Amino acid sequence: MGAHVTRKLEHLVVESPTRNDEVSDKWAAFREIELIDFPLTFSFRHSLGKVSRFFLELEKQRLMGTYCSACDGGVWLPPRVICPDDHNIMEWVELPNQGILEAFSMSAYTLGTDGGAEHLVLGYIRLAGARTAILQQLKNVSSEEELAHGMSVKVVWADGEVEHPMELFWFELDV
Amino acid sequence: MQKVSVLGGGMSKFARQRLDGTPMDWIVEAALLALDDAGVTASAIEHTVIAYESEILARQVTMGQVVQDMLGLNPKPSIRVEAGGGTGGAALRTAYAYIQSGLCESVLVMGADAVGRQVPASTVRQVYALSGDVDFEMAAGGFFTAYYALMMSDHMRQYGTTATQMALVSVKNHRNAISNPFACMPMSLTVEEVLASPIVVSPYKKFDCAILADGAAAIVLSTERWARDHSTAWKDRPRVYFTGSGCATERVRLGDRPQPYPGYAHFRAKREAAKAAYEMSGISDPRREIHVAEVADTFTGAELQAYEALGFCEQGESGILSERGVFDLGGQLPTNTSGGLIGQGAPPGGMGIAQGVEILNQLREERPDSVQVRGARTGLMDIHGGTSSFSVVSIFSRED
Repeated sequence: MGAHVTRKLEHLVVESPTRNDEVSDKWAAFREIELIDFPLTFSFRHSLGKVSRFFLELEKQRLMGTYCSACDGGVWLPPRVICPDDHNIMEWVELPNQGILEAFSMSAYTLGTDGGAEHLVLGYIRLAGARTAILQQLKNVSSEEELAHGMSVKVVWADGEVEHPMELFWFELDV
Repeated sequence: MQKVSVLGGGMSKFARQRLDGTPMDWIVEAALLALDDAGVTASAIEHTVIAYESEILARQVTMGQVVQDMLGLNPKPSIRVEAGGGTGGAALRTAYAYIQSGLCESVLVMGADAVGRQVPASTVRQVYALSGDVDFEMAAGGFFTAYYALMMSDHMRQYGTTATQMALVSVKNHRNAISNPFACMPMSLTVEEVLASPIVVSPYKKFDCAILADGAAAIVLSTERWARDHSTAWKDRPRVYFTGSGCATERVRLGDRPQPYPGYAHFRAKREAAKAAYEMSGISDPRREIHVAEVADTFTGAELQAYEALGFCEQGESGILSERGVFDLGGQLPTNTSGGLIGQGAPPGGMGIAQGVEILNQLREERPDSVQVRGARTGLMDIHGGTSSFSVVSIFSRED
């Protein structure tokens, strides 16, 4: 016997995936299969790009949008660098910490998990004075019945350490 | 413009997990079946278009070059197309444009993706999330099921669309899949079973969702002249042409879209793509002039939203018409007779091309009696990427 393949998971003979519909399997000579473990890991030095100031200002508990002084078409949050209306370069402006809940959903999943007990509430919030709405988590909500379109919400700032700038704030009902 | 023929199509099984090959193997299977169906040899094909969304999930960058080599098609030219969930539809449109431009007279369009159980669903969800807004929305915990759920919860709020109306779409698409040997999830389900399935992201439950699947599909397109000269099937088979193509884009983040239209609840890019496709193929009353349609049922509610964007009904009317059976087999406009993304499965690069295979087979009246739409002469394919931030609508028509 030769060497042992450490990443080999399984050696199997598979059937035709549409087996019930074929008289004979034309791929019969190629049904012996080896499965191996194939790990793939990435990590990047990731630039948050031209809108990085938004993320940096969050550390100072400030929410920054952008607006176009050429067309005065309102404040965009999330910020953009180019005005979609007249294609001019935008300018920064600070937004207040209150807004309106426009849409929401409650999830049994999170981005990186396959189900589980934790529930994640995501909502689109239009801050006072903003033309657009930002997606963010709503916390201290135990059931969807507590939420309704048009409710007032407020920004809550994180304490201590977070991994990503978007974890520096979330929204809660403004009661 | 000259006429572009849809000469043949082929499928490689859509399944929750295919351990019997790589995505490239599946594409080869589908391509050989499409060539056989078209009655043409691989060596006659002048150009290929390859469709896949994710190199990471395929574990292969430049899949098109690998497949071209595997099929023995070197040194013929090939181009890769990618548009997220809309990849397959974008590939069909690209092939159409290549032929219309005169660059070539025949194209083999092939697509696949590997999003089944060879990798955890959470990994697929993360890769898919990279196709939306990454630094704001994905970083806030956003992912596509949640985006679609946000859209549909607003549709329900505005129009009173119900969970039962959505469940009817799931029942229909799983039932239609029963007659499709390439489908992933053929099932006889009841509305009650759909409603009782576990919540994924409210209002969506397990059986409201398209199925992450492995699989591939392929289609052969050509000019009429090329078909006459190279296809042994051309004389005897019903003739199907690619008569309409529309494509449109939309702001990526739902919160950036203007209120009240499209707002959260409507697919504006899909409406624009449909309008362009209808204009090109001379359709003014889609619900009557289209006889069969494959609609992007990423989720049951997305299929209802699509009916509205495609002009099959007014805004907010889709749920009621679904209850009335308008889109069932035997109804006025049967949709997703293949099973759709919910019943057949949803490998992004494969599914848009698979829609074309289904419509081609419907128009040739070659589907089993249980799902054949008798006398269908015009069929529509609707597929999109993101939350319809990219949308493509294609029309095939049979001429006797």
